[in-house]
Amino acid sequence: MRKFAFYLLMLFLSLSSLAVNAQEKTVTGTITSGADNSKLPGVTVKVKGSNNSTQTDARGVFTIKARKGDVLLFTYVGFAPSSVTVGDQTTIVVTMNTADGQLGEVVITAMGIKKERKALGYSVTELNANELMKNKNTNVINSLAGKVPGVNVTQFSGSAGAGASITIRGGNSTSEGRQNQPLFVIDGIIYDNSTSVTGNTGTDGLSRSNTTYSNRVMDVNPEDIETLSVLKGAAAAALYGSRAADGVVIITTKKGADGAVKVNVASKISNSHVTKLPEAQTSFANGIYSSNGVLTKTSYNSWGLPITSADTLYDNIGNFFQNGIVYDNNVSVAGGSKNSSFFLSGSNFKQSGIVPNTSYNKTTFRFNGEQRYGHLTLNANIAYSVADINRTLTTAGLYGSGVGSMQSLYTFPQTYDIKNYLNSDGSQHRIYAGVLALDGDIDNPYWIIKNDKLTSQTKRVTGGINGNYKVTNWWDVTARLGYDQYGTNDYTYITPGSAVAPLYQNGRLSKDLLNYTYVTTTVMTNFHKTFFHDFETHLMVGTTSENTSIVNQNHWGYTFVVPGTISFNNIATTNKFFTDGTTRRRLVGVYGEAGISYKNIAYLTVTGRNDQSSTLAIQNNSYFYPSVSGSFVFTELLPKSRILSFGKVRASWARVGKDGNAYATNTYVNPPITIGSFTGVGNQYYSGNPDLKPEIQNSWELGGEFRFLNGRFGLDYTYYHSETENQIGQPRLAQSGGFIFSTLNSGSVINKGMEIALNGKAIATRDFSWDITLNYSYNKGRLGAFLPGVAYFYPTDAQFGTVKAASIPNGGYFLGMTGQSYLREVDSKGVEIPNGRYQVDPNTGFYKLNTTNPIVGNREPDFIGGINNTLRYKKLSLSFLLDIRKGGDVFNGTEYALVANGLSKMTTLNNRQSVTVTGVNSVTGADFSQTYTAGTNYTIGTTTYAGSYLIQQYWANYAANSYNFITSVNWVKLRSLSLNYDFTSLLKKTKAIKGISATVVGTNLFTITNYKGMDPEVSAAGGTGGSGSTGIDYLGVPTVRTITFGLNITL
Amino acid sequence: MLGATSCKKWLDVNTDPDNPNNQSVLVQNRLPWIEHFYQYTAGVTNYRTSCIAGVYYTNSANPNTFSTTWACTNANSTTSYQTWFVEVSSNLVDMYNKAQKQGAYHYMAAADVFHALGYMQMLDLYGEMPYTEAGTGNPSPKPDDGKTIFNGCMAKLNEAINLFSQTQATGAPSLASGDLWGGGDVSKWIKACWGLKARYFLKLSKKTDLYNADSILNCLSKGPQSIADNLVGPGYNNSTVTDYLLGDPVVTNGNFDYAAYGNTIRMSQYYYNLLANIRGAGVADPRLAKIVPSYMTNVKLDPITNRVSSYTWARSIGVDSYNPQTASAPLSVANRLAKGGATSIATASYAGVNTNITYAITDATDRANFIAAVTASGKTFTTSGNNVTVTYKAGSVFINSTNYLLAGDTAYVNMRSSAIATSGIPAQGQTDVSWYAAAPAARSGVAAAAVGFTDGVVASTGSFQVRPVSDQEIVTFHEMNFIKAEVYLRKGDPANAYTAYRAGIQAHIDMMQAKLASWQSAGYTATNPDMAPMSSSDINTYFASTAVANAGNITMADIMLQKYIAMGCSIENWNDMRRFNFSAGNVGTFGVVYPGYQRGPLFTGSAQLTGASPTDPRYWIRRYALPPTYEINYNSINTLALNPHATDPNIWSMPIWWDCATDAEYYGYLK
Repeated sequence: MRKFAFYLLMLFLSLSSLAVNAQEKTVTGTITSGADNSKLPGVTVKVKGSNNSTQTDARGVFTIKARKGDVLLFTYVGFAPSSVTVGDQTTIVVTMNTADGQLGEVVITAMGIKKERKALGYSVTELNANELMKNKNTNVINSLAGKVPGVNVTQFSGSAGAGASITIRGGNSTSEGRQNQPLFVIDGIIYDNSTSVTGNTGTDGLSRSNTTYSNRVMDVNPEDIETLSVLKGAAAAALYGSRAADGVVIITTKKGADGAVKVNVASKISNSHVTKLPEAQTSFANGIYSSNGVLTKTSYNSWGLPITSADTLYDNIGNFFQNGIVYDNNVSVAGGSKNSSFFLSGSNFKQSGIVPNTSYNKTTFRFNGEQRYGHLTLNANIAYSVADINRTLTTAGLYGSGVGSMQSLYTFPQTYDIKNYLNSDGSQHRIYAGVLALDGDIDNPYWIIKNDKLTSQTKRVTGGINGNYKVTNWWDVTARLGYDQYGTNDYTYITPGSAVAPLYQNGRLSKDLLNYTYVTTTVMTNFHKTFFHDFETHLMVGTTSENTSIVNQNHWGYTFVVPGTISFNNIATTNKFFTDGTTRRRLVGVYGEAGISYKNIAYLTVTGRNDQSSTLAIQNNSYFYPSVSGSFVFTELLPKSRILSFGKVRASWARVGKDGNAYATNTYVNPPITIGSFTGVGNQYYSGNPDLKPEIQNSWELGGEFRFLNGRFGLDYTYYHSETENQIGQPRLAQSGGFIFSTLNSGSVINKGMEIALNGKAIATRDFSWDITLNYSYNKGRLGAFLPGVAYFYPTDAQFGTVKAASIPNGGYFLGMTGQSYLREVDSKGVEIPNGRYQVDPNTGFYKLNTTNPIVGNREPDFIGGINNTLRYKKLSLSFLLDIRKGGDVFNGTEYALVANGLSKMTTLNNRQSVTVTGVNSVTGADFSQTYTAGTNYTIGTTTYAGSYLIQQYWANYAANSYNFITSVNWVKLRSLSLNYDFTSLLKKTKAIKGISATVVGTNLFTITNYKGMDPEVSAAGGTGGSGSTGIDYLGVPTVRTITFGLNITL
Repeated sequence: MLGATSCKKWLDVNTDPDNPNNQSVLVQNRLPWIEHFYQYTAGVTNYRTSCIAGVYYTNSANPNTFSTTWACTNANSTTSYQTWFVEVSSNLVDMYNKAQKQGAYHYMAAADVFHALGYMQMLDLYGEMPYTEAGTGNPSPKPDDGKTIFNGCMAKLNEAINLFSQTQATGAPSLASGDLWGGGDVSKWIKACWGLKARYFLKLSKKTDLYNADSILNCLSKGPQSIADNLVGPGYNNSTVTDYLLGDPVVTNGNFDYAAYGNTIRMSQYYYNLLANIRGAGVADPRLAKIVPSYMTNVKLDPITNRVSSYTWARSIGVDSYNPQTASAPLSVANRLAKGGATSIATASYAGVNTNITYAITDATDRANFIAAVTASGKTFTTSGNNVTVTYKAGSVFINSTNYLLAGDTAYVNMRSSAIATSGIPAQGQTDVSWYAAAPAARSGVAAAAVGFTDGVVASTGSFQVRPVSDQEIVTFHEMNFIKAEVYLRKGDPANAYTAYRAGIQAHIDMMQAKLASWQSAGYTATNPDMAPMSSSDINTYFASTAVANAGNITMADIMLQKYIAMGCSIENWNDMRRFNFSAGNVGTFGVVYPGYQRGPLFTGSAQLTGASPTDPRYWIRRYALPPTYEINYNSINTLALNPHATDPNIWSMPIWWDCATDAEYYGYLK
């Protein structure tokens, strides 16, 4: 309560101190280069805290509407940003210094500390609001794709509200349940980005792969973001401690500025449609052959009779999806006075999905305020959001929870019109009613989306108060209290009469509540001193505590007693169940940083942090880790050069600890069993580890920044290496240990990679300019030696068709994939000959399979990159982002499913009249060639089979070879294209409106790829831990192409 | 900054408040768990080793390699290992430690007994595996050799006897509060410990330096003295709850879960013959009708109720895996497997309606024989060329296949029993454990699984030891008597051997009678006459006949074959057979102890059993391979360091420590 009183006070103070609206005027200015006094064309001029901006013409001249007290920001590639506060004058002369003398360029680093870029011994990428808004996505993670070298973004699916995952420089933890996504920090407070899966795949079908989940950073309104800073390496992140080993994304939200109150209104409307759908064959109808050649037509397989002109075909898949619409409205008010400022925003994002009856609706509010009292500055910010998803089950859950709408849609026989899904009495129209039992049947996708109800609502409050006291000009103290809390309510209702396990056929209801609370306190103090004129030093010491608590409750039940009332109150007591879960984790950290620099030439920084985490064994729960980094601006020692105007090399080494998951130090027991009058309790087959230690990551990176031609072109290069040891995992182990899975510290993950960013101003004339940024990066993730016998790490949510996502110890891929393959012929030593002929098993008449989980792929790309262009012609600007990927295996599980049930176009080979199996006999080694023809019988072993059956079996055998569905994927995507026109100059007479601009943005406009499936950017099971499910495509909601129209008005 | 102490306290939140952990479980809850899951692991071990020993035949592919082809597949290795190590072993450690803290000596003792039972079972099966480092969460425990494991188990039994004899500390929970098996009867547990010691000392019979007859007799004198002292694990049929790991019912007898849960298991002809005609006496064992299942035949259904109105019981015959059979000869009982294949015995279905099956029989002799058999059975049929169409009247138990080779397989009644957790027929209730075959299709509102039950046509009455409600025999008075008989005969004292031999048979029959009587009074016999007591005149006839040896002519084979009958579904038969080198006849002067037990015509195990002749130790199945996935994959370095042959295909025929005459022989194998 006290906290809220404080916020109210802050709000009052901020509002009461608003300046009276100053008179607007036209400011004209000229910008010159500090290096050679040349005029600078194409410099962006912006009124701080608004969207009012313009650019200089060829003579370096700009005009902009501003009020007295406004701050004008000047940014130009290769030059340090600078600013001027508008006073009484109407003309301004600005000198901008090239980046080599970029004394002003400051980036936000760990703990929110602002540093000069050239002082950094590690790589940091910062994006500003303009860059993020070019292709605004309601999930800010998606706006990073292709823009930051070393950052890999994967969107989960095309469904409304679907999340995305982000990894920086590869994953570091192998085990399922160990996240590899960076820490998000918003205005100094750690912001949870979980993708929480509530529910139970056994009882309500909810698992990562079966429906839509959001990652919680989606709760942020992207329009509130001022800058976003990506700390990639351990050295950059070390101060954030245990949760920073995977990098940190620091988000700073907007603030009000001294001067007039600005109101900004932005409205967007967008239309999305499916980019690509799976293609099904249209030659053969439903049916399946038995081994003696008898066709059963009542089947969801499509091995049946040829489709003739007498049959009606329905484009069920094509007709199913609709256009998705988004209405996105945003209002913000910002202002301030000499000692205070505020920013207030509200937004609503309303999306209807491409799957009918699915939607995502997000409403956000934010207040940021700042007040200064002499040496004391107080900040407060609070954000509130409500996000609602209406979703659908897409694929099968466990234990008879149905097959899901996408699986049903993609596999439904095309000779039936799926729109005919209801009988006149309101029950489901089942095409095989009377033949298939209800629990053996498949629900019509329309039945699922229209009758079942799956919703999720998350309400979130995040806020913080921050006080900074400047004791002297070289010493300040900061204290911060942060709070992040959300509750997610999931609701899943399966309607009576659905094709689910008999127990659930009279309806099923489940509700899940997840309540996340995070409280953090931080106190830190900074000292800055300059000695002997040229030596600048700083020292920072701080401490932090974090307290996380997650409470979840699950209620579920089945069989509604009185039809029509969907409530637990209408379920018999014996059919209702509930469970509770509580996760608590706490951490105390003490940290410090010391730095020294000499002139503008050499910089050295050391950091250290000690954490104590509740999640580790008490004797091991305190751990210290240091980092050291330095940079050297060698061009300071060279004569000034136009060619190489700035050059810096940097190096860093860092160690970071990563704590465990809650409760892993104990072994827990199974639910009790009752035998006679006795009650038995025994251990689960997971063992805890009472000796658990932190994972430790050691990393180093080398890099350099170079600017050429007075900073017109820049190059940033990084090579990095990291090894994360003492991997905390719960692998399958020898059962003689007493357990199937045991928690232990073993093995390492090694990541090596390179990042290159190039930027430049290709053309810069008065009316036309072209800025281009090019980035390239690769990462190679491998596993080191683990305890002997630890064979694979499988994320269990990422196993589809014949493949499993896997990390493979002893030098194997972090993003590997195991599966099944055809065995090839062997040499005299019994070793398979690479690219040899396939072995044919004479007992089956088909290719023999290696079912010992061979490694069949590496999902990690050879490299990823982006080309980001901004072209401006007068008031019209055009930006487009090409996203490039080379290599990395993708498993096309959708095609696998289509082959397996006879819907793939591939299966119409030879008009299904014959197939030929060619290879070597796996027993004798002799040549083997056999054609199976429909209408002929074949005796294999002692059994006689009909040819039609064997043709069908040929495809089952084909489907069993994982390699038949794996492609090393390349792509070039036009990730976004945006066109913006600034109408402000047309409105000179209007005083009410300060600025107006319109945008048209297209995202995912085209993809050039060698991938034959839907979209190669896939992750069938979303944000699974460990190596995740990226690279696995399985019956998901297709990705979408979106066109957005937007209008931005500043008042 | 928080103070160090308060900080430590503030961080102490790593215990899940919603789920109990292994530190907090009460010993009196831990013991029933251990007792149940030991029963479960012993169940799968008893079943599969009984396939090796020739008690059972199965058409299930993996255990069939034990019962018939002897091409032992590693898939058989996994379940005993997993159920022991994962479901039991770590609980012993936790129970022992918790009991020690409370001074609950009887629970410490119970942990010791289960330690001995379980690890001795593992030794019997696998020869070597982690022991001293096992069951404690050690991620890569080192294995121990057989001698270490044997001695360790014996030491645990000695400690158990000592601990059971102590008075527990004040406030320690009574054994009765957690003892599902013994009701907290400490003296019974002590007798069981001595009985186990006798059993285990007997394993040393090949070792001239370690085998000690007097010490075994001393153990027996302190072991069970009557059937009242039998230690058994109870089986119930009153819950549908299933276990967390493999999904089997938690209240039923462990032998049932493996030997009679499914359709695959039949009585072997070898075992059947011992019951039907031991010593060539031509007198049926009174126990035969209680052990060998039967089914209803010649069924007439009431035209109105459709319920069974008249029938006769047909007793199963045994499946013959061992005797030479001619695949090319006309189909007969003798060559049924040779003609159809090792796993070809088919499962019966129930004809809920009149059902025609057309058999295409190209072989004229087979066709003629088939027609003759059908004619003899009184079924109606028609012929057309090679085709014979037989009508199975509604009410028939029949084989739903057009393969004529299988049509007679109804004679091999499977061992299956039903429990309420497994039958899938909610109406069947708790006191009817007979198996009703499913119909090929549902019938007017009755699920296919329930048609046979609805009509009341029993497809199997089950078998004494393997019903859900059977007792699982752990230490029994009859076994003690047979051990005594063997030891006396080895001492050259046939008179005492004979006394013990007869007492053994009597003790087994008495135990069965008591249980059968309890089943009768509980109402199980309403639908299942095989669960009723034996007739006392049959018992008297049996004892009076030459089926039972005389004092003067008693042989080791007499003793061991009677023990074999009585132990039935038990690992001890295979253990005994190894001690006598099966039917090699080369142990002492005892001759062939298990006559007729031999490699059969369907033998394909030459890669596993590499010995060329019966006297070669490597001719027989002498151990299990370690589970390839559960152990070797994850612990291969340690495993191969102790036994470099652990992954050799013929590991199956490598004798374990107690199966060797000397340590030199044993360690010679491990080189």
